[in-house]
Amino acid sequence: MSSGYKPDILWSPHHADRYVICDTELSLYRIGPAGSPETKAGTLPLSEETAATLLAINSDTPYMKCVAWYPKHEPECLLAVGQANGRVVLTSLGQSHNSKCKELVGKEFVPKHARQCNTLAWNPVDSNWLAAGLDKHRADFSVLIWDISSKFSPESVPAEKARLSGDVDSGLLVTKPLYELGQNDACLSLCWLPRDHQKLLLAGMHRNLAIFDLRNTSQKTFVNTKAIQGVTVDPHFPDRVASFFEGQVAIWDLRKFEKPVFTLTEQPKPLTKVAWCPTRMGLLATLTRDSNIIRLYDMQHTPMPFGDEVEPTIIERSVQPCSESIISSFAWHPSAQNRMVVVSPNRVMNDFTVFERISLAWSSTTSLMWACGRHLYECTEDGGQGAAAADKDIATKMRERAQSHYGHDTVQVWRNHVLAGGDDPQLRSLWYTLHFMKQYTENLEQKQQSNKQSLIYSGIKNIVKSSSGTTETRRCWSGSDRQTDVPRYHSEERSLALQLCGWISRGPDIDVEPFLKSLEQEGEWERAAAVALFNLDIRRAIQILNKGASAEKGDLNLNVVAMALSGYTDEKNSLWREMCSSLRLQLKKAHLCIMFAFLTSEPGAFDAVLYESRVAVRDRVAFACMFLNDTQLPRYIDKLTYEMKEAGNLEGILLTGLTKDGVDLMESYVDRTGDVQTASFCMLKGSPGEVLKDPRVQCWIENYRNLLDAWRFWHKRAEFDIHRSKLDPSSKPLPQVFVSCNFCGKSISYSCSAIPHQGRGFSQYGVSGSPTKSKVTSCPGCRKPLPRCALCLMNMGTPVSSCPGTGKADEKADLTRDKKLAQFNNWFTWCHNCRHGGHAGHMLSWFRDHSECPVSACTCKCMQLDTTGNLVPSDSA
Amino acid sequence: MELHILEHSLKVASIAKEGIQVCTHGLIKLAFLPSKTRCKFFSLTETPEDYTIIVDEDGFKELPESEYLSVADATWLALNVVSGGGSATSSQPIGVTKIAKSVIAPLADHNISVFMLSTYQTDFILVRERDLPMVMHTLSSEFTLLRVVNGETVAANSTGVTNGFVKPELVPRPIIHPLSSPSNMFCVTSLDPDTLPSVATLLMDVMFYSGGAKETGGQSEDSGHIRFFSFSLIEGYISLVMDEQTTRRFPNNVLFTSASGELWKMVRIGGQPLGFDECGIVAQISEPLATADIPAYYISTFKFDHALVPEENIQSVIGALRTNESTGQ
Repeated sequence: MSSGYKPDILWSPHHADRYVICDTELSLYRIGPAGSPETKAGTLPLSEETAATLLAINSDTPYMKCVAWYPKHEPECLLAVGQANGRVVLTSLGQSHNSKCKELVGKEFVPKHARQCNTLAWNPVDSNWLAAGLDKHRADFSVLIWDISSKFSPESVPAEKARLSGDVDSGLLVTKPLYELGQNDACLSLCWLPRDHQKLLLAGMHRNLAIFDLRNTSQKTFVNTKAIQGVTVDPHFPDRVASFFEGQVAIWDLRKFEKPVFTLTEQPKPLTKVAWCPTRMGLLATLTRDSNIIRLYDMQHTPMPFGDEVEPTIIERSVQPCSESIISSFAWHPSAQNRMVVVSPNRVMNDFTVFERISLAWSSTTSLMWACGRHLYECTEDGGQGAAAADKDIATKMRERAQSHYGHDTVQVWRNHVLAGGDDPQLRSLWYTLHFMKQYTENLEQKQQSNKQSLIYSGIKNIVKSSSGTTETRRCWSGSDRQTDVPRYHSEERSLALQLCGWISRGPDIDVEPFLKSLEQEGEWERAAAVALFNLDIRRAIQILNKGASAEKGDLNLNVVAMALSGYTDEKNSLWREMCSSLRLQLKKAHLCIMFAFLTSEPGAFDAVLYESRVAVRDRVAFACMFLNDTQLPRYIDKLTYEMKEAGNLEGILLTGLTKDGVDLMESYVDRTGDVQTASFCMLKGSPGEVLKDPRVQCWIENYRNLLDAWRFWHKRAEFDIHRSKLDPSSKPLPQVFVSCNFCGKSISYSCSAIPHQGRGFSQYGVSGSPTKSKVTSCPGCRKPLPRCALCLMNMGTPVSSCPGTGKADEKADLTRDKKLAQFNNWFTWCHNCRHGGHAGHMLSWFRDHSECPVSACTCKCMQLDTTGNLVPSDSA
Repeated sequence: MELHILEHSLKVASIAKEGIQVCTHGLIKLAFLPSKTRCKFFSLTETPEDYTIIVDEDGFKELPESEYLSVADATWLALNVVSGGGSATSSQPIGVTKIAKSVIAPLADHNISVFMLSTYQTDFILVRERDLPMVMHTLSSEFTLLRVVNGETVAANSTGVTNGFVKPELVPRPIIHPLSSPSNMFCVTSLDPDTLPSVATLLMDVMFYSGGAKETGGQSEDSGHIRFFSFSLIEGYISLVMDEQTTRRFPNNVLFTSASGELWKMVRIGGQPLGFDECGIVAQISEPLATADIPAYYISTFKFDHALVPEENIQSVIGALRTNESTGQ
């Protein structure tokens, strides 16, 4: 109000739909939905949804300087108006039938010496008390607290002295204030303290903020500061006060009143209004002169200053409630969240809701949470059965796969694709490739031929490169004497490649019959027929197709294809050849298509087969290994490898193997899918080698471990680490914690492995009479007993702490006992703070019901010191 | 108690009555258009003899050079006493009476000439800039000295030069100048700066055009009316001193009036122009008033001094001062 007659705005303290605009007069408005039936022609639109109706105008009080709304429910529309001459007038808006209101309206409170009234504040508890802050006058007081219920006292206004006041009706004049405070200073702003309604915070012109207690007005707490305008208490924090000076806002803590807790960044223009949001914690809105934005400071996460070093974090942002016009004043809605009405100098009003900041958090699973205002939203993946597997997020897939032990089947490696869900052809190809590689290595191991072993994991690309001694054969169509005109190539490497493709199980003889049988079993009729045909067994191919057609749910069209196939002729210009080469393109099944492509193409020109992308890479590579010569084959393989790498297609692992090329390919696969799980498991198989040292591989592995941790799959993490350390011994972490004996100071595990363990097995039975034999519950170094569990009072000890070198000769009974003792429940555990401890199982069950240490007289809250103590793994052991 | 040394460098000037039209442009600007100048301290007092102007350096530039304008050679600094918000009783005397013993008497004892300007809001004690070290030395025992620099109040360190200052001998201060008391009663008031434009023409009329009508009234001793009007605009606060008849020309509720509607009588000091070098004049008047606990305003002008005392106290004031006068002689 300091600058002329710019309109200010006040919300009714109790009627959420009413507010007053005050400039030269007071206007009461009611806010309601726009376009509702009760809106009349005279309504003013405030926003798209709301409009205001003018209810009443009061222009009885000229020279208004400040206005304060009576805080109690009744009388409803009672306002105190502070005037330029320091008088405070009670007035009301609209009609009120309240007798108390009638009694009060028109009452005037007159200071001894006239000067501007700067600020007014009703006492929040004793609503008869009204504090008025006035300008300075020589020796008069600047803060007068009036009791509005006080009766007019005629003796204080002698009639002849009232001649200058010009008041005819002096019956309503009150000149004796209840309290007078702040002599010889001006009061620019004041507020009552909500914690204690007898206390008043005032800001004087002589650069100080002072807290007065009305019970003892000679006592005051005060602090020198420039920030003496607009003191206002945070409605949510009774000790937090904001005050401002020019462009700067200072935030105070009344408990530490010596200096501001912090000051907000200074604005270039002087501030005109500062207001705490009543509906949201710690949100302060500020307005500067001639500005069209309201600046908001979110002190939501500001820790209260218990230490001086706490640097508060404040989120600052600005809102522009009405795009072009400057804002004269604003007022927060008392109850609607983050809502305010702003008013421009020419009285244009705007209803505006500050959009709440959205804070967003991803969970480690696929759900997403965000909070906006008082609402919390959760967004989870549609986990219904209807959701196609391909649509699932990779994180969900990885979680499911981790739960189904994906990657852990090291015997039947191909089964891992089943564990992965069995619906991803790339994973299927990958795990079959790894399976064949492993199988082949095992075969070699038995034959003690280790020279090829290094080659096997380096993929067909490298195998083919090293190929030498290729022989060429022209075989007959089986079951016919006709010579084929297609040459077939053989070499040791080619047959190795065919094995990796899974076509043959063992070289050098090419016998695809087992493979065909397995394909038939799986109902892959077309693929089986194609494989048979490529092995120049046209009769077998026809037989397979017939079988396919007659099988349950078989495709009768297969018979037609078989018929077409049986008409094969190698006559170059036959009608059959001509028709097949053109009509084959209309076949929907890729394998049928390539069969005819093979039969109709010129020798050595099999592009129609080789580049049929619908056919699995392994089949095409196998085909290439049979029918491409030594120049064509590497070129084709290189080209295909490049394509696979570009696409990140896991089928390409067959070509690249687990080499650097393979890592490149996997990199583009991970880039495409984010599937670090498959990448980690796959690359672990590549041991020993450079591959595991590749930083990318290490990165995938670490990320996968972190993911498992984030999902609280701690058991899975541990399983993975064990699996990893088996395949990559260098990843095994060194022991980090040692338990040392209280008596000899030696590590109880180390000293154990240091001594030979003769007869340990017997000692564990406790049947051996020899006193020199150690027990699990004693230190293996000095034989003194280990500490007792604080709960069961038994000496602790686990065979885990014994050396791992327990021979296979130990009795089976001993193993079961070992296992029993080695269970986690028997592990040592102790609090790092109070050093008490016991068996892990006992401790866990103790702390399920207690917070303090089980040792009597120890008040250590051991479990609460453990930040992860209350977390539960989400995978069961 | 705090004594604030304000940052305004002030000039005290006199404009002869017949030459006022030369200066009206500047004066109107200083009085009514504060946003057009950088002036923060402006006071205009009309007496029967002349117009006294107290203005800071920025405001002084608005005044033309003229033969009618005489300027006191010194630069003055304004002192202001702040009680620090102590909770004294409401019956405390206001104005010079309050500071008579603590400020005015010690300065008089040290032979420091002061120029007083009481306003509705406070009292300003003007001292010559060159006397400041002596002022600070004199008052540092009684007050916390604070200096206003660029709007910030900072502690003014007393120069520490205590050598060479002569400890004054305390002598009784007789009143040596003739006193007179005009018959009209005065009102010390203020108004809201926002309403200033609405009464600006009236104020201009009072300031510049009403003097001629009562040509002879001012000169008559004791019984006669005196033409006296003071307007000041200091740091945004307006203060007005005018006689009761003049207040009736203002619309209702514009002037700030005290609830009790108190009126003041004037005691005019000096038969000859007092000049600026003589010290102790304010002390001579204010000390007896302080002893009698009578509130007072005190306005020095270029030629004479004026004290305003409550109308009901005028007889006792005259009595007290006359006693003092007689003992002095």
